[in-house]
Amino acid sequence: MTAAHDLVVVGAGPAGAAAALAAADAGLDVLVVDEQRAAGGQIFRTTPPEFGGRRKLPTGYPWAGELLDRARSHPGIAWRHGATVFGILPVAVDAAAGADASAGPGSAGFDVLTSDPADPARSGRVRARRVLIASGAYDMPVAIPGWTLPGVMMAGAVQGFLKSQRLRVADRVVLAGSHPLLLIVADQLLAAGARIEEVAIARGLPSPVELLRALPAVPGHVRLLGELAGCVLRLLRAGVRISTGTVPTEVLGDGRVQGVRLARADRGWRQTGPARTVDADALVLGYGFHPSTELARQLGCGLDWDSAQGGWIVRHDAQLETTVAGVHVAGEPSGVAGAEQSRAEGELAGLTIAAALGRPVPERALAGARRRIRSASRFSGVVQRMFAPRREALLELATPATEICRCETVTRGTIDGFLDENPFAGTADAVKLACRSGMGPCQGRYCESAVAGLVAKARGTGVGQAGRFAAHIPVKPVPLQAYVALADDPPAL
Amino acid sequence: MPDAEATSGRAARLPSERGEPAEITVDGRPVGCFAGETVATAMLAAGVPAFSHRNGEPRIPLCNMGTCFECGVTVDGVPLTRSCLTTVRDGMRVETSER
Repeated sequence: MTAAHDLVVVGAGPAGAAAALAAADAGLDVLVVDEQRAAGGQIFRTTPPEFGGRRKLPTGYPWAGELLDRARSHPGIAWRHGATVFGILPVAVDAAAGADASAGPGSAGFDVLTSDPADPARSGRVRARRVLIASGAYDMPVAIPGWTLPGVMMAGAVQGFLKSQRLRVADRVVLAGSHPLLLIVADQLLAAGARIEEVAIARGLPSPVELLRALPAVPGHVRLLGELAGCVLRLLRAGVRISTGTVPTEVLGDGRVQGVRLARADRGWRQTGPARTVDADALVLGYGFHPSTELARQLGCGLDWDSAQGGWIVRHDAQLETTVAGVHVAGEPSGVAGAEQSRAEGELAGLTIAAALGRPVPERALAGARRRIRSASRFSGVVQRMFAPRREALLELATPATEICRCETVTRGTIDGFLDENPFAGTADAVKLACRSGMGPCQGRYCESAVAGLVAKARGTGVGQAGRFAAHIPVKPVPLQAYVALADDPPAL
Repeated sequence: MPDAEATSGRAARLPSERGEPAEITVDGRPVGCFAGETVATAMLAAGVPAFSHRNGEPRIPLCNMGTCFECGVTVDGVPLTRSCLTTVRDGMRVETSER
């Protein structure tokens, strides 16, 4: 199946939905492609329509309902849910009639390759004049001994099951991490009848200096902070043990999680004391988020390493255009900053793209979006500073026998051994080629940061210098039918 | 409106409105579920101990958002289908992967 659109947006979260709405309001013909069944992204996941009942959205974002409703009913926006974008190709300039041959890649538009497993006939390529990468983020992986056991789940996973499926993943739960989401998930699990055995927070309590620094960021975000404070209060009232300065050192169990070893850690999150065992059926990890940047990598966009913003983030200008002309970015791939900032970035990107394609866009609309980004970034900047993961210390939780690459079951010992024997191997990609770490179905999303961390440690450089895994088509494994669908001739733009 | 099912420390459906009852098979065994549920939900609630294997080790969903592929199963003959992104359909045939 083929079609042509002014703009294809990848991702229907706050950034993608806001971008689609702003662009469509300005007159563009927009297609949004998203892997989930409904718009909203991870943050606004709700129960499916089959469950009936009213939509419940998080209270911290009063604009969410209207944004999603307006976007969904907009005649200028088409939606393709349940589909995966597995690659984006700039259209060859000589293949596009009327294109300026002197212009660079992307000047003739893009072919967006999609796979729709539930409806393979809809797989294929969609042509777009511009593309926006609003693909969100995923929970930051932390490799600890035993983390491949069934019952170890990411905070976002557990919350997703609760919010959208009304499923409690386990009875007795230990949560370990450092991101504020961990406390929200603990509170939601408690309300769902789980027994919270312990919440292990890696960092200490915020210092007075940190709190003072955070104050200017608070106006406009009172609801979010209030929500978080309410979570902590309810947990404490229920007698839940919240331990600060504590890290998980091992997951115990035979075939599934049966216990978690926890130990005291210093201010740098390094283990200082002996570990103790807490019995549990599940361990929930919540140390932050990594932006989903695979499409930007595959397109050849520039990326920068910024640990506090989530790792590798997509380089962009003030208008959110990447280093590849015609490819724009909004939301977490531009730096993990939360739903408020994602929405504002989406709005600016949508308006900018509309203006670039010749639609009239009032200057005050652009100024409003920029103002909202500035306001949101004051808050997100504080969150990033306060909760930045201590990656070097987390990496040391992995022992030689710990699987770094879950897909190909490559241990830390294998990777360290390769780095010892090959003193000139200095990149994450070199380790990938030699050890297969990063070559499985997840394509390195859950081992890249640890692999790069091990390289950086062995060579005395930084994670940024150790580099990142390259991404190629398909950026996610897709069935062969998706390739067959590519044989159709795309229409002229 | 089904009650929360006590399943000895495993996943449990919360008391909540759900869709119409449905049935899928997992490795040939019938698994009851409800319209609107994902295959991952149905399998977790049924206590399926392994969705996939890696080098013989059992795995169940890690990310529940389509990035980790640990929940990959064969659905109606299509391998590596992410059960967390797939909605159940009455009569759907699911096979766990034994690698």
